[in-house]
Order: sequence, then C-alpha cells, then structure tokens
Amino acid sequence: MATVNGALARALLRLFAVQGSYNYERMLGVGVGVAEEPLLRDLKDGQYGPAVARGAHFFNAHPYLVGLAIGAAARAEHEGAAPDQIERLREALCGPLGSLGDRLIWAGWLPLLSALTLVAIGLGAGWSAVAVFLIVYNIGHVALRWWALKAGWTHGTRVSVALHHPVLQKAGALLGPAMAFAAGAALPLTARYLTAPFGSWTRAALAGVAAVSFVLLRWRGDRLNGLRLSLGIAALALVVALVWQ
Amino acid sequence: MLPIELLIALVVWGTLVGVDLVSLPQMMIARPLVAGAVAGAILGDIPTGLKLGVVFELLQYDILPVGAVRYPEYGPATVAAVATAHAAPGGGVLGLGLGALVGLVTGLLGGLTINLLRRVNSRIVHAAAAQLESGDPRALVRVHVGGLLRDALRAALVTIVGLVLAGLARPLLAGALTVRGALLLAVAAVGTALAAGAGGTLRLVGRGPNLAWFAAGLGGGILATLWLR
Repeated sequence: MATVNGALARALLRLFAVQGSYNYERMLGVGVGVAEEPLLRDLKDGQYGPAVARGAHFFNAHPYLVGLAIGAAARAEHEGAAPDQIERLREALCGPLGSLGDRLIWAGWLPLLSALTLVAIGLGAGWSAVAVFLIVYNIGHVALRWWALKAGWTHGTRVSVALHHPVLQKAGALLGPAMAFAAGAALPLTARYLTAPFGSWTRAALAGVAAVSFVLLRWRGDRLNGLRLSLGIAALALVVALVWQ
Repeated sequence: MLPIELLIALVVWGTLVGVDLVSLPQMMIARPLVAGAVAGAILGDIPTGLKLGVVFELLQYDILPVGAVRYPEYGPATVAAVATAHAAPGGGVLGLGLGALVGLVTGLLGGLTINLLRRVNSRIVHAAAAQLESGDPRALVRVHVGGLLRDALRAALVTIVGLVLAGLARPLLAGALTVRGALLLAVAAVGTALAAGAGGTLRLVGRGPNLAWFAAGLGGGILATLWLR
C-alpha cells in the first residue's frame, strides 16, 4: 500500500508538468507517459516497456483531469487488460475529460474566482484579494488533480463511474450561475476602479470607446479578438496623440 | 532605466509566469492579476501593478484556452506593461496607456512563440518516435524535460523583449506625448479592455439560464458602484 501511495504521489508531482512538452503531434501524450511511468514500475519486464510506450501515445484532455486517465490506464495495465482495450479506454476518455474540465475549470472555477477578485479589488481590497485568489484557486486545483488520479487508479477500466460522481455534477450545476453572477457584478465595479483617476470628459470618451469596441467585437467576433482590437485602437490613439500636440 | 537587480527580478518573475501558463504548474500565477501585482511589488509600486493587472485580466476573459487553440500570452506581457507604466514620467494614469501598448505587443509576441514552440516540440517528438515506441523511460523523460526547458527559455526571451520594449517606450514615446495624448492612449487601452472583458464574459455565460444570473450580478454591481460614489 505504501508503495502504491508513493507511486501515486510521484505521478501527482509529474502531473503538474503534464503539458511541459505540449505539441501538435501527440498533444499531452509525452507528458502523460512521463506521469504514468511511476505507476508502471512494478510491472514485469515484458509488460513495462510496451506500457510506457502506450502511455506516451496521443492524448488530449483538460490538464487537471488527465490523472483520471493515467490512473485508469495504469490500473488496467496491472490487471492485464489487452493493449487494444487500454488504447480504446484512453481514446474514450479524451473527449469527456476535456469537456468536463473546460466546463468546470476554464468556464467555471477560474472565471468565478477571477471575477470575485475583480469585485474585491473594485471594493478596495488591494493585493490581499490577489493572494486569496491564488490560495483558494489552488486548493481546488490540487484537490481535483489528486482526486482524479486516485479515482482513475481505484476504478481502472470502469473509470466512467467516477465521471458521474455527485460532487462533479453538483459543482457543474453551481459554478455556471455563480460565475455568471460574479462576472456581471465585476464589470461595473472594475469600470469604476479603472476610471476613478479620469476626469469627466475622459470618462465620456472612454465609455464611447468601450461601447464601439463592444459592438465591433460582437459584430465581427469571427475575425476580431480582444488583442487585435486593442492593438488597433491603441495604435490609432497613439498616432492621434502624436499628431494632436 | 531600472536598476539591474530589479530587471533581473522581473525577468525571473516573467519567466516563472510564462512557464506557468501551460507547462508547470498551472497554478495561475500567469493570470495578469497575479503577474501584475507581483511585478508591482518588485518595483515597489503595487497600485500600478494592480491597475495593469486588472486591464489585462479583462483582456484575458476574451480567451478560452480549450484544445490547441492559439491565444496571446498576457502574463509576461503584464510584467512588461507594469515596468513601462512604473517608469513613465508622471506614472499613474499617464503610464497606463503606454504600459498597455507595450503589454499588448508583448502579448502578441508571446502567443506567436507558444505556437512556434509547439511546432518545434512536434518535430522533436516526431524525430524521437522510435525511442518513444521502444518504451525507454529515459528517452521519454529527456523529450519531456527538453520541452519544459525550451518553454522556460521562450518565456525568458519574451519577458526580456517586453522589458526592452518598455525601456524603448520611455525615450521614444513618453517624451513625445503630451498629457492629453497619454490620456487618450489610456482611454483607448481601458475602453477596449472593458469591451473585451464584457464580450468574453458574455460568450462564457451564453444565452441559457446563466444570462439571468449575469444580469442579476450586473444589476448588483451597478448598485454597488452607485452606492460607493
């Protein structure tokens, strides 16, 4: 048991760097292979090499939930599952782990906490809000990575059971509305925070720029993004500022 | 020109921030709010760090990093932006626009280098395919650690270029801008960031039931803003 826990702990540490060699050929595959390797060390000689090679094949999912696939694949290797079955398991997990992670983290937990931090800064909390953001975010982050790895190892080829865990379902249902509410509240408070030092004419000009930019982003969202628009308008403003002395 | 020890600290911080975005450990020090606040602390100017952190955090809302989507990199960009604004004559609002401009260019550059790095990694993984298929764990770790080190080098270079731009912005632009011109630049930067933040948020929220929650939050935010006046 201590050996398994040690191997899981090593796999967890490696999971934090799972995207270290991100590439368009195997996506996260190489990082997944590196993270899975400690869990495969006690396989027999003839099994170890092929299992390590399989672990490094193409894989793409949300990085925080990759542990679920790693634990499940490693457990399946230990249980002597056929190589084809393990490959199919990995393939089958890519989509669900990607969409679940995107929904829970990139579209839920992260923007929720970011928006709450913006609200706190808007209310005058200062840098301490940023410190709280980092601590709270990473409690959820590390807990999710550890849970995913343990659940994958526990369930093996029946890992789909873990994807229906009630906490994940509940979190998915709560995070969307909470994020939307916090993001809505953050916008006016952030606008107030950023425009506080400006005079009245400057605020009026700023409201105009924001309104036109918003319409352009909604209207031409297929071609235009925040960076391109901001760079374009900033460059235009710079030219006007240099000419209008 | 900033003292060399501060420049080194900013390069180290920008590198950590750049590596955190994708490679290690994704603990969100790459978020502009964090990158900006710490860069401000390094320079002894937390208010400027927070302000530019908020501007770039709004721009970050425009990005949903799903799959292999390409996106700008705002972490090291925020570090460069804070360095620019801190050194700008008059600082505060006058440095905000100039800092944002340098940060936007650095963010664009960072995004391009991420794509380039992924292409380089693809070639290296392709070339090492036979070793990887042999199940040699040393080859696997070597390819992976190589990717990590290349990302650290990439992040350091992006930060250095951002800080060079920050150094150039002062003599080339800051001296040539009037107070009115610097304000105009700040208006452009803050206005577009607010628009990008609102647009990105609405895309995240979608047209489903969450839109009502967004509207409720917006109402609450407006009330709080009026109450604070």
